[in-house]
Amino acid sequence: MIDPITLEVIWSRLISVVDEQAAALIHSSFTTVVREAGDLSAGVFDRAGNMIAQSVTGTPGHINTMANCVRNYVAPNYPIDSLDPGDTLITNDPWEASGHLFDLTIVSPVFYRRRGVAWFASTCHAVDIGGATMGGDARSLYEEGLAIPLMKLFRGGEVNQQLIDIIRANVRVPDQVIGDIYAQEVGNQVGARKLIEMLEEYNLPDIEAVSGQILDRSEAALRSAIRGLPDGVYGNTISIDGFDEPLTIACEIAVRGDMLSVDYAGSSSQVARGINVVLNYTHAYTTYTLMAALAPGIPNNEGAFRPIEVRAPRGSILNCTRPAPVSARHLIGHFVSQPLLTALSEVLPEQVIANGSAGLWNTMMDGLDENGREFAYVFFSAGGMGAGHNRDGLSATAFPSGIMGVPVEAIETAAPLLMRRRELRVDSGGAGRFRGGLGQVMELEIITGAPANHSCMYDRTGNPAQGLLGGKSGAAGDVRLSDGSQPHPKSHYVLRPGQRVLLKLPGGGGYGEPFQRDPQRVLEDVKQGYITLAAAKRDYGVVIDADTMSIDAAATATLREEPKK
Amino acid sequence: MTAPSVLLAVDIGGTFTDLVALDTDTGRIAVEKLLTSYPDPSLAVLDGVRSLLERAGLSADGMRYVVHGTTLITNTLIERKGAVTALLATAGFRDAIEIGNEGRYDMYDLALRKPAPLAERRLRFDVPERMLADGRVHQPLDKDHLRQVCAQLRAEPVEAVAICFLHAYTNPAHESAAQAIVSESLPGVAISASHQVAPGMREYPRASTTIANAYVQPIIDRYLERVEAGLKASGIAAPLNIMLSSGGTTTVAASRDFPIRLVESGPAGGALAGLHWGRLLGQSDVLAFDMGGTTAKAALTRAGELAISHQSEVAHVHRFKRGSGLPLMVPMIEMIEIGAGGGSIAHLNALGLPAVGPESAGSAPGPAAYGAGGTRPTVTDADLLLGYLNPDYFAGGDIALDRDAAQAAFTELSAALDLPLERTAWGVHQLVNENMAAAARVHAAERGLEIRRYCMVATGGAGPAHACGVAGGLGIGRIIIPPLAGVASAFGFLTAPIAFDFTRSYVSRLDELNLGELNGILADLERDGRRIVEAAGVAAGDIKVSLNIDMRYVGQGYEVRVPFPMDRLTERHIADMRQVFETEYRAFYGQLADGVPIEAVNWRILISGPQPQVASAVFDEAQSANDEPVACRPARFAAELAPLAIPVYRREQLSASWTAAGPCIIEEAASTTVVRPGWSAQVAAGSCLLLTRVGGGKNMEWAKT
Repeated sequence: MIDPITLEVIWSRLISVVDEQAAALIHSSFTTVVREAGDLSAGVFDRAGNMIAQSVTGTPGHINTMANCVRNYVAPNYPIDSLDPGDTLITNDPWEASGHLFDLTIVSPVFYRRRGVAWFASTCHAVDIGGATMGGDARSLYEEGLAIPLMKLFRGGEVNQQLIDIIRANVRVPDQVIGDIYAQEVGNQVGARKLIEMLEEYNLPDIEAVSGQILDRSEAALRSAIRGLPDGVYGNTISIDGFDEPLTIACEIAVRGDMLSVDYAGSSSQVARGINVVLNYTHAYTTYTLMAALAPGIPNNEGAFRPIEVRAPRGSILNCTRPAPVSARHLIGHFVSQPLLTALSEVLPEQVIANGSAGLWNTMMDGLDENGREFAYVFFSAGGMGAGHNRDGLSATAFPSGIMGVPVEAIETAAPLLMRRRELRVDSGGAGRFRGGLGQVMELEIITGAPANHSCMYDRTGNPAQGLLGGKSGAAGDVRLSDGSQPHPKSHYVLRPGQRVLLKLPGGGGYGEPFQRDPQRVLEDVKQGYITLAAAKRDYGVVIDADTMSIDAAATATLREEPKK
Repeated sequence: MTAPSVLLAVDIGGTFTDLVALDTDTGRIAVEKLLTSYPDPSLAVLDGVRSLLERAGLSADGMRYVVHGTTLITNTLIERKGAVTALLATAGFRDAIEIGNEGRYDMYDLALRKPAPLAERRLRFDVPERMLADGRVHQPLDKDHLRQVCAQLRAEPVEAVAICFLHAYTNPAHESAAQAIVSESLPGVAISASHQVAPGMREYPRASTTIANAYVQPIIDRYLERVEAGLKASGIAAPLNIMLSSGGTTTVAASRDFPIRLVESGPAGGALAGLHWGRLLGQSDVLAFDMGGTTAKAALTRAGELAISHQSEVAHVHRFKRGSGLPLMVPMIEMIEIGAGGGSIAHLNALGLPAVGPESAGSAPGPAAYGAGGTRPTVTDADLLLGYLNPDYFAGGDIALDRDAAQAAFTELSAALDLPLERTAWGVHQLVNENMAAAARVHAAERGLEIRRYCMVATGGAGPAHACGVAGGLGIGRIIIPPLAGVASAFGFLTAPIAFDFTRSYVSRLDELNLGELNGILADLERDGRRIVEAAGVAAGDIKVSLNIDMRYVGQGYEVRVPFPMDRLTERHIADMRQVFETEYRAFYGQLADGVPIEAVNWRILISGPQPQVASAVFDEAQSANDEPVACRPARFAAELAPLAIPVYRREQLSASWTAAGPCIIEEAASTTVVRPGWSAQVAAGSCLLLTRVGGGKNMEWAKT
């Protein structure tokens, strides 16, 4: 039994070790998707593959899926005692890891005094994995690129050159993809070195005892938070765009004592397009959302997963079966957060937020640059977040994803694209006592003089983010070409030179009755150009004199007293 | 009359204004400390100067120059008390500073807030123009439109204008033209252009920096005017130089153009002081460590110099959360700050484990032992319970510490942990040490530095009491406790050379460098820099020019900075560039990306004058030398061990030949040095204390916590 002070000292140290791992990975990465967007995760695991600590950088879809992957797939298939120093494993199996082929999970055992004592793992989004490019078009997994079953990437420190050659031959930008694989290995090795230093310093044989206690304490803390909720069943159902037709996500949260289970029964069946979600990914965003609402101070690790059970019917959109196409799984997966928060609003109205844009908008362009070389470029953009009980929603901010946007200057330096504008989208935040966050508007064109392929992965074009407790919906998204035509928001088309594509990202939902919003706040929104004068009157019942920019108190009072239509 | 020989440093902090005068002929130093005056901090400066001159018997015309550092910029940004500022942006991109990086700095916080932009949206204007990433003009600047915007601005109470156009770092032509039009249309308004303030890629941090510069410009302008006039009125004709966050000093004129470069100049002075004392004792790898009441700061040298960073943040929404501040791209001594100080409060975290900080009892109410109403257990309370602090000689006896109050504050925590009181206090002391060590370790790792090799220079009220503990956790074996700890930043200013640096982004593969064009750019930068440094009083012959190049493999996004001899570049230099890059890269990442071309991204020129010679500093003679302990008191150095009766010395009484083995305690008014078992202490050059780990092996007593 380690006393609580020693335990905390070693635990803090473990967190600094995984931060060192992530820092080394990011700094040696070759892609903006890892460096700027932060589409990665890094963590340390005990001998059995239980995740103990994760780095502060990262995104839930990677962290929590990586945790399941190492425990349920890597460690059982390659028990740590069967490996040798210098071995490193790799996989991108969507069902076992993070839900699509793009994410490479790389796992290295750590040896200390000739015994395997821990694992370091990271998951990064590769810029390309071959196949049809990123998007929802594929009809099966086999069209989506190169699958890498769990295998050794390094054997006793020697790289598996055949695998590297296969990857190189399958992807459009091999230097970047291979470069990042090495960056992941660099991160794991830095983590391993620092962990060994720690074991030496504290004279520990391994981290089993520390792991056991941290996981138990995390579990106990989460159970106590769950016990704070009244027993009962809380449910909510939302509609989202889907690929060709709308899909339903239904959730039911059952709280019994210190156990919480989530069941997605009633959600749509899997579809023949690449937007299906594996259970691992559904699980990741479910636990993440619940932790953020219920117990944001508890570390996210194996222990915190134990009191939460996640079920989805086999063959449903949230638990698809092989070989369903899954490339754009995040388009659906990010949405599980939405009905969960709404369901919890019944018991935790001040700890949740209204629905928001939720699904990141992924823009992928590929083609030939001015010199006839292949280019492939992907970036992520966020719409507005939902409002909370005492604050407006954040504009253009990713949630639940932890991924970041990329500066226009970085995009244009890396790819032959021209962004004509990127600004906040006026009137897109859902009205409410607190307003939803604004989406953004982007206008893009290609400057190579040659056509390029634009893969769209955009949602909420038909189903806007709903408001909460009287709040109104945010604006729906929109994709439109300069000739007025509308490409399919989850497919790809050819963007021609001289043509522009206009992306309007969705806004977040409002919280509470809009007519209860402080008129001064409405006036301020008009002055700053977050909403228009017309919207102030229509949505908030606030009449503003355009010349003096002041509130017409009498007209406002009258308007607000009228029964709403 | 002899040549002026006195250097004067003035450091305005949030609470105190510190002054240090050094006579370079005699090496004598005089110090003055007074409360910072609000709302006009220049009053205390002028008071202090008068009083210092009088007390030290110095004359105003014996002054060679005055170095001034201030927290005014940082405070203006934190308190949001800057000028009404407008932004002119490439049409379609005025929201870049509000959209930011679209991320959340805390993944689990659903109530997260972001810092509001310093230029509100209604004062952010679209200007039609467009450069491409390679610097070609895609759309010319619409000057008529710009004039209309200016006309609109005239109707607003706008005091400052920031201009930030896309890709202006590769081609500043449009920004320069816009600058001319705005200054013509809006006379008296401060103008900041991004290609001058922060010429680097990434529109969000560049715009943020440019706006921050504009936002503080009118305030700092008025302030510097008052200080200059006041000094003149005091009879001081010597030039006034301003401390920069990068560790150099510059002229008042240059700092008026780029006031954002003055941000955090106080901590920069502290780091410089650390470097100075380290060098004096022959150390080149220095960890400057300062621990005060609320925060701890650390800076590391790299190849014997303090590392400079161009990415930082200021005015955080959550003080210690990375990503919650306004991003800045200005040269700054790289520093880490964490919420660990004497006032940091110990509590139980969500797992029921003890944690320390970042919440702090500050100076009011302060630690429970201050008896000023604090009831929660703090680091200072723990240090008192462990026997490290003298209740009757804390802050030189100004604050009487109440041991019973400290004990009472720890009762609840130790009951919750089911541990004895002293064990709990020891744990809190160890935890705060580990927090600081962890931050330094990650920082070093991000830069590929081997921190065990470093020598720690510990300052601040709480630094010397925690130095051995933190050093132990880092594997460090040498610690310097310098004198003048109470005015370390101001003293550091005196060691700063007059220097200014310029950066140009000029991205090119090494094998495609256009040497003619590049040499022209570098020559321009050098000329501009020389002009500034000469204006600050450096003789042309004393000027040193150095070049740093940021390089990376094509496709990477983070660069490796390598020093390179400043010269007219020719073909033969290119192979050298490749070689120094590969050496640095291998040191950092362990392996090279073979076959990938290398590109140079940023070219940084530093123009500096000579380092002031302050090595001969002498202090007031020690009162009667006394190398014997003045007292003996029980103190604890490990969880289970019974308290040891250990000797206590008075620092100002120690002779130059004093040595002692740990454990022992050395008291002075500004701080208390705790020498742990396994360490020895001695008086070293420059009145420093030098602590050395005996045997140099692992610190096993640390490992047992």
